[in-house]
Amino acid sequence: MVNKSTDSKRAHKMRSTGSKQQFDTLVRPWRYRLYGVAQRQSASTEIAEDYTQETLLRAWRDFGQLDDQVAIYAWLLRILNRVVADGYRRDNRRRQLAPVLTTEDAVLSEHPCAAPGPFEQALKHQTDAQVMAAVRDLPDNFRQVVLLRDFEDLSYQDIAQILDLAPGTVMSRLSRGRRLLAERLIKVASDNPAASDNTHTRVTPHE
Amino acid sequence: MSDKPSITPSSESHQWSDLHHQIQDWLAGYADGELDEHHITLVEAHLAGCEACRHDAERQRMLSERLQEIPAPRLSPAFAKRLDDTLASVQTSDRRPVGQKPLEGLKHWLTRLSPSAVIGGGGWAVAMVLAAMLLVPSLTPEDPNQMAVASQIPMVNDVLADYQRVVGNDLRTPSDDADLSPPMQWANGRVLARWTTRVGGEPAEAYAVRLGNSLIVQYQISERVFFRNPDVRQAVARAGDFRTRDNELEVIGLPMRASGLLVVAPSGNVPPIDKSAMSAS
Repeated sequence: MVNKSTDSKRAHKMRSTGSKQQFDTLVRPWRYRLYGVAQRQSASTEIAEDYTQETLLRAWRDFGQLDDQVAIYAWLLRILNRVVADGYRRDNRRRQLAPVLTTEDAVLSEHPCAAPGPFEQALKHQTDAQVMAAVRDLPDNFRQVVLLRDFEDLSYQDIAQILDLAPGTVMSRLSRGRRLLAERLIKVASDNPAASDNTHTRVTPHE
Repeated sequence: MSDKPSITPSSESHQWSDLHHQIQDWLAGYADGELDEHHITLVEAHLAGCEACRHDAERQRMLSERLQEIPAPRLSPAFAKRLDDTLASVQTSDRRPVGQKPLEGLKHWLTRLSPSAVIGGGGWAVAMVLAAMLLVPSLTPEDPNQMAVASQIPMVNDVLADYQRVVGNDLRTPSDDADLSPPMQWANGRVLARWTTRVGGEPAEAYAVRLGNSLIVQYQISERVFFRNPDVRQAVARAGDFRTRDNELEVIGLPMRASGLLVVAPSGNVPPIDKSAMSAS
C-alpha cells in the first residue's frame, strides 16, 4: 500500500531544505519496486532497465514540483506510467483495440477450462512466465490496472489517482482486463496442454 | 461501450439484461472486496440467478490470487550500480535549486547568454528570441526535459538513422564545385562529403566531417522541425543547446538563424561546440 501520511510528512520536511540527499532518502528506496513494475510490462530486461532509469531521471528533474499531497510511490508510478506509454508509442504498440468480452463470451461460457475448478487447475499449471506474457500482451488500459492491483496491491483509490481515472473506471477496466486475461489463458491452456508438464515435452490430449 | 460505468444503477425499471451488463463491470470490485454493501447486495442478488457472472467472479478472484503468487522480478546488482552512477552524475551536473520553475530557468538563460549573442552576431539574438517565443506556450510542469530520450524525437531518430547509413556506406567523393563549408567549422576538421536528406519530414543538408578518428555529421535542418519538440525547446532555453545520446552516439542540437543544427558524433568524441564560431546561415 502507498503510505500517504508518512511519506507526505517526510517529503515536506525533507524538501524544505532541498538537496540530493532528500531525493536519495525519499525516492531511491523505491527503485526496486519500480523496476518490478517496469519489468512486468517489458519484453526484455534491457527495456525494463531503460524504463526504470528514465523514470528516476525524470523524477529527479521534477523533484522540485512534487506535491506534498502525493505519496512518493504513487508519484513515481505516475512517472513510470508515462515513460512506459512513451515507449509503447515508439513501438507503435499503443492503442490496441481493447476488446470487451461479456461473461457469455463463447470461450468463457463453453470452454471446458472455463468453469471455476478447471480454470483454477489451468492457472496452476501455467508457468509464471506464461502468465506474465499474457499480462504483457493485454491492451495498455487493462494491463496498467491489473499490474497496479494484482501485483502492486494498491487500492482502487490509489490506482485512480496514479492513472487519473475515476474509481469506477478502475473497477470496470479491471473487470474487463481480467476477463480478457482469463479468456486468453484458457486459450493458451487448451492450445498447449503439455506446456505445464515439465517431465514430458509432448502429451497427446485425450479425445 | 462506455468506459466509465455509473456506480449507481437507478431502479427496478432496468431490464435484467442492462443490470447484467452493468454488473459485469463490478465483478472485479466484488471479487476484491472493494464494493460497498449496497452494491454487494445488488451483485449477489444477480449472481444467484446468473451462472455466467458467477463463474466470472470466481475467475476474477482466482486470477488475482494467481498473479499475486508471482514473485517480483529482481534488479540485478550490475544494473543497480549503473543506475546509482547515472543518478549521481546527473545530480552533480544538475544542481538547480529544488522548486525552481522552468520559466526562471529561461530568464536566467537569456540573461546569461546575452553577451555571446553580441559576439556571435545578429543570428544568435534572433534564434534566442524565437526560442523564447516558441517556448513560453508549452511551459508545463510535465514538459521540461533535459534528459530527453533520443528515440522520442523524430528528428533525432532521423539523423541517427542517416548517420548509421553513412557509416555503413562509402562516402562519395565530393565534386569540386560543391560548396562544402559546413555550418560549424573545426580547426582540424576535414569535410568529406555533403548531401541532402530528410529530417522530420523536411529536406536537410548534411555535412560529413572527419576530425581525428571520428566521423561527425552536421545536419542543417529547418527551424520548424528543430523547435517542434517541447523537450528541445526546453533544453535550448535552459542550456543553450540540446543534448541527447543513443547507445554509441551523441546528438547536439543548436539553434541557428532561421534553421537548426544537429551534430551527430560518437560518444566521448564530441568536438568542442563553439557557438560564437558558427557561421550564421
